[in-house]
Amino acid sequence: MWIYEKKLEYPVRIKNPNPKMAKLIITQYGGPDGELAASLRYLSQRYIMPIPEAKALLTDIGTEE
Amino acid sequence: MKNNERARLLDEIRAIEFMTIELNLYLDTHPDDQKALNDYNSYTKQLMALKDEYQRRYGPLSNFGTAVSEYPWAWINEPWPWELD
Repeated sequence: MWIYEKKLEYPVRIKNPNPKMAKLIITQYGGPDGELAASLRYLSQRYIMPIPEAKALLTDIGTEE
Repeated sequence: MKNNERARLLDEIRAIEFMTIELNLYLDTHPDDQKALNDYNSYTKQLMALKDEYQRRYGPLSNFGTAVSEYPWAWINEPWPWELD
């Protein structure tokens, strides 16, 4: 289970709203090759890791991402 | 101003948490590095203290039994991270 934290890892302060750029960024976040998809791949790949270091690292990268 | 203090505290939490995240990932593949581990433990203690302070003042940062709430249930309070503070 994952615990959601009600804060960003890094602050975002938008000075000039740009819908075109926003669309690009939201795709990088939740699109087919985005961060969310990558994080779930890490969390799934960890099950076949043979050593403790790799199991932990994939768990943590998948969580952080 | 009250909001500035909140933003300042949150920035401090982010900075310390950045250290704990990076040290954590490093330690996953270097579990015998005593110096890195000392740093990790030190930053973790600072982070826990700062989060306690923030949550006492401004409400829970996380839920599902990780932080208590005042009445009424404060988890639903805005702003969420994607909303401008």
